[in-house]
Amino acid sequence: MTTDALLLLGSILIPAIGSVLFFGGFAKDEGSLKKLGYLVFGFPCLASVILFLRFDGSAGYNFEVLYDRMGLQELGITFHLGLNGVSSPLFAMAGIVGLGAGLAALHSGAERMHLYLALLALMQSGLMGLFASVDIFFYYLFHEFALIPTFIMIGLWGGRDRRSIALEITIYLTLGALISLGGLVALNILVDAPKFDFPSISSALDQSSLTDSAAFKIYGLLLLGFGILVALFPFHTWAARGYDSAPTSVSMLHAGVLKKFGLYGIIQIASPLLPDAALAWSPWLMWLALGNVLLVGMVAVAQTNFKSMISYGSVMHMGYCFLGIGVCSVLGVGSTVMLMCAHGLSVSLMFLLANFVRKRSNTLEMDEIGGLGEKTPLLACFCIAATLATIGLPGFGNFWGEFGIFLSLGESHEHQIFLVLAALGIILSAVFGLRAIAKIFFGQESEELRKQAKESPIADLSRAEIIPASLILASLLFIGLWPASISDRINNEISNRYSHLQSKNTLSKPSCCPVDEDVKPTELSSSTSD
Amino acid sequence: MISIALSMLFLPLLSAAVTLLFLRKNGNLASLLSVSTAGGILVLALVLIFSDNPVPLAWDTTWFAMGGWELRFGFLIDAPAKLLLFIVAFVGFLIHIFSLGYMADDPARPRYFGGLSIFMFSMLGITLADNLVMIFVFWELVGFSSYLLIAHYFKTDEAAKASRKAFIVNRVGDFGFLIGIVLTYWTYGTVNLSELADLADFSPNLATTGLCLALACGFVGKSAQFPLHVWLPDAMAGPTPVSALIHAATMVAAGVYLLLRIDFLFTEEALGLIAFLGAAMGLYAGFCALVQRDVKKILAYSTLSQLGYMAAAFGLGAPGVALFHLTTHAFFKALMFLGSGSVIHACHHEQDIFNYGGLRKRMPITALTFLIGVLAISGVNFLSGYFSKDAILLWAYNFNMPIFVILYAGAILTSIYMFRLYFITFEGKARSKYAEDAKENSFLMTGPLLVLAVFSVFGGYQSLYPDQLGAYLGPDLSAVSLLPHHMWMIVLGTSAWIIGLLVAKTLFSKVLQDDPLARRFPAFYELCRSKLFFDEIYQIYLSKIQDPLARFIEVMELLFISGLMVRGAAGVAALFSMLAKLCYVGKIHAYAFWFILGTLGFLFYAAGLVGN
Repeated sequence: MTTDALLLLGSILIPAIGSVLFFGGFAKDEGSLKKLGYLVFGFPCLASVILFLRFDGSAGYNFEVLYDRMGLQELGITFHLGLNGVSSPLFAMAGIVGLGAGLAALHSGAERMHLYLALLALMQSGLMGLFASVDIFFYYLFHEFALIPTFIMIGLWGGRDRRSIALEITIYLTLGALISLGGLVALNILVDAPKFDFPSISSALDQSSLTDSAAFKIYGLLLLGFGILVALFPFHTWAARGYDSAPTSVSMLHAGVLKKFGLYGIIQIASPLLPDAALAWSPWLMWLALGNVLLVGMVAVAQTNFKSMISYGSVMHMGYCFLGIGVCSVLGVGSTVMLMCAHGLSVSLMFLLANFVRKRSNTLEMDEIGGLGEKTPLLACFCIAATLATIGLPGFGNFWGEFGIFLSLGESHEHQIFLVLAALGIILSAVFGLRAIAKIFFGQESEELRKQAKESPIADLSRAEIIPASLILASLLFIGLWPASISDRINNEISNRYSHLQSKNTLSKPSCCPVDEDVKPTELSSSTSD
Repeated sequence: MISIALSMLFLPLLSAAVTLLFLRKNGNLASLLSVSTAGGILVLALVLIFSDNPVPLAWDTTWFAMGGWELRFGFLIDAPAKLLLFIVAFVGFLIHIFSLGYMADDPARPRYFGGLSIFMFSMLGITLADNLVMIFVFWELVGFSSYLLIAHYFKTDEAAKASRKAFIVNRVGDFGFLIGIVLTYWTYGTVNLSELADLADFSPNLATTGLCLALACGFVGKSAQFPLHVWLPDAMAGPTPVSALIHAATMVAAGVYLLLRIDFLFTEEALGLIAFLGAAMGLYAGFCALVQRDVKKILAYSTLSQLGYMAAAFGLGAPGVALFHLTTHAFFKALMFLGSGSVIHACHHEQDIFNYGGLRKRMPITALTFLIGVLAISGVNFLSGYFSKDAILLWAYNFNMPIFVILYAGAILTSIYMFRLYFITFEGKARSKYAEDAKENSFLMTGPLLVLAVFSVFGGYQSLYPDQLGAYLGPDLSAVSLLPHHMWMIVLGTSAWIIGLLVAKTLFSKVLQDDPLARRFPAFYELCRSKLFFDEIYQIYLSKIQDPLARFIEVMELLFISGLMVRGAAGVAALFSMLAKLCYVGKIHAYAFWFILGTLGFLFYAAGLVGN
């Protein structure tokens, strides 16, 4: 096994082992708890960034780990890890957000800290594994590893109505996961692939073609299941309530990373395997996605609580991702992956910062804060940057994703209506994002804040708070300033994976023909003869 | 050459980053760094302008590629780009120096100067970019720096509202611009400006009015034209040097610059619409300026009006003349804004002109240079504004009479409100304690005024421009000089500013605390004060339509999706569980009853009495 493959394996195993150690109470005092925490969350981040840099950029899997004697090989299940052009940036994003969430958790002062960290580390292990899996069974299994701690953590450490919300989110997401599992299993059984991974199913599909109606139904199942997990309109209501109540680190990891599971499944598995079905479902998907952008966007405008606004805003931006997937072109899908990376970073940063605001003002009701910017200029600075990143300011990663998706929507005439309606979202997100900034940081201090500042002075960000926030912000800026750093590998992988889609979809050239060389001289001569 | 262009572009970004990371607490160093950066930009810009460089100058690097789409990071440094580059670097440098004096006592100087550097970076980007997407990127970034700088005094409600309004209104324009860019790409197959120009030459029938109007939305937002003009007057909540640089000389003019970068895409209908809207803006903003009391608001409306003139010139098919007016306007409007800044600084941030008065004796340099600005914008013969504005008027006179009439009325108004501003501020007696105690500012602030005054006087002589700068203006200006009715135009133009001077002199040379217009023509005064109710209409939209709609959708979501769908599904499940629970009552009789019922049912079924 190469060092790279060991790093890949380690970034999954170390958080898992760390989780056991935390749970077993091996780290008793605060010092050792922190040391272990730095290792458990720091290693995956470091490893993922190294692997991101060492990725060779071509299509196909790098750093593969294969173990096929697990006793499940009869079922076609093998333990197969690796990164390709789509998963490599997402894997790095998961590592970075994981470190940010881990640091936030270490300094959160939660009760029963070791249990809290144990569950968070388990979640982190699942997230790293999810993006590193080639085998679809393990991809799904790792997702469950990450999902189940979410429920427990919301139930134990959540805010208002945590019990009922934990129950709702559990039922909702388990249902979504179950439906998508049904779709995946049906796909595997119907095409009778020797192994449960993308290349095998793909080659099996070439030999025994699925009937159109079966493909249509399977894709529908996958879309429904994954759609619920990604909060596709109208299955989105769990998201806002869930993030609202979840502790900060969980909101960061769930909204930032785990929610990308569904999109990742559609992009890596469903759409490239069943391209015809994807095209057939695309109008449905895109109208629902517009519901995300416009209706959920309007709901975000109506929010008075900062965290609810972030939650609804994040659900709204999922609409862009679905639009990009619905276009079914390399440009659309590739830009969606760009947006997934950037959105994961920006939304987790927003949740992190919202917690910093709450620590200082004791509330997240925006009308009750006001004028915080004078006391905490650095926090204001981070918040403005994060908000502008979320609303797609160039210079941050989100812009390229959104722009690419808009560009892909302009390609065919029947999609141009979506272009116009979806682009309204850039105004909507500016409306709610800047309103929040103005209410929280600008203007005069509110009475409550002044009273509170008398009791205990409001301090600006501490070093422990600056580090995770700037880590995430720097990554966002990196993608924003140098989009080619991730877009090239995404492009290679998507072009390869969607090659048959492209041949079917003949819209890859702009309607203007390449300039006809013969026309020029004749035109010139006619004008000179005048 | 490319390295010079690149280092010029990224120098201010680097300076902003250093300020943000290390100089957050050190106002002196931050301001010094920013000013020397601006100086460095000016030097590099001059090197770039006066060296022969290949056009287009491209940094051959792929910035973003996906599918068949590829975006390269490239520069197009042709004649109009060089002229705007000069304006941005030169006026920007002067305003940086002025800021040293103006902001000397401000505790938040690092933030201010960092913001200025980000602005320089983004504005240089717009100037040099060789494709529409890069323009859009920097377009949004100037919007961001404008937001940041308007919000400089963020503790005041005014600044908090104005910054947000500016960004969102600009976003509305960018919405159209973005759609325009996407459609341009799928129509022409490229967004590169030079390639687009070639393609448009070849197949002019590809251009559609809808497409170019969508692109023009960017102009309407950034240059604050009808109906998105509402943000600019409010943007005056920012520090005065910012208003001079961003909201008068450069950023708002970028809209006009965008138009002439893509002028080959425009159809006759679109041009006609732009010309008409521009001319109407020229007149409308003049009426608004006439009744303002805040010195910066007067200048803001005047900027709107002059931008309207540029748009009209562009719409009438004279982009060179539009750029010419943009250039002279940058000099004299920056001059007047800085002059007003000098006055505001001397009068302890008092901005109501009726609280000024008699400042000429106390602030002679400011007064003199301001007067030069006033004369230049009013079109007094042989100053810069005379050449550029009368070129527009003459062009309109020859090609479109109705637009000429509107523009001419606007020209008379311009000189009325400008002389009004001058008389009330600098002549007569001091009307407040602040005005009585005002003193001339230091050389840091008067120096830039003097330099700009020189350019406002001589900026109209196109023959003085070096070839590298004047190349784009040449053809259109020589076309102007060949037009008929020259003498007639000189008479008309001269009488316009003389009428304005006389009207202003009779009405405003002796004023007290209240506006003589309000006393003499109350109905007219109120109509102008209302600004035709645009702000009110938008306010009604926000409070009566957008917010209630948002709340309505929120309630519907709660009712139908959370309530009916999710709770409903949960309710159905609960109903089943309740029915099932009825069977488990925990009494042996009941279980015996169910057992017997089940057995009987089975027997009936087996006997073929039920089912089958």
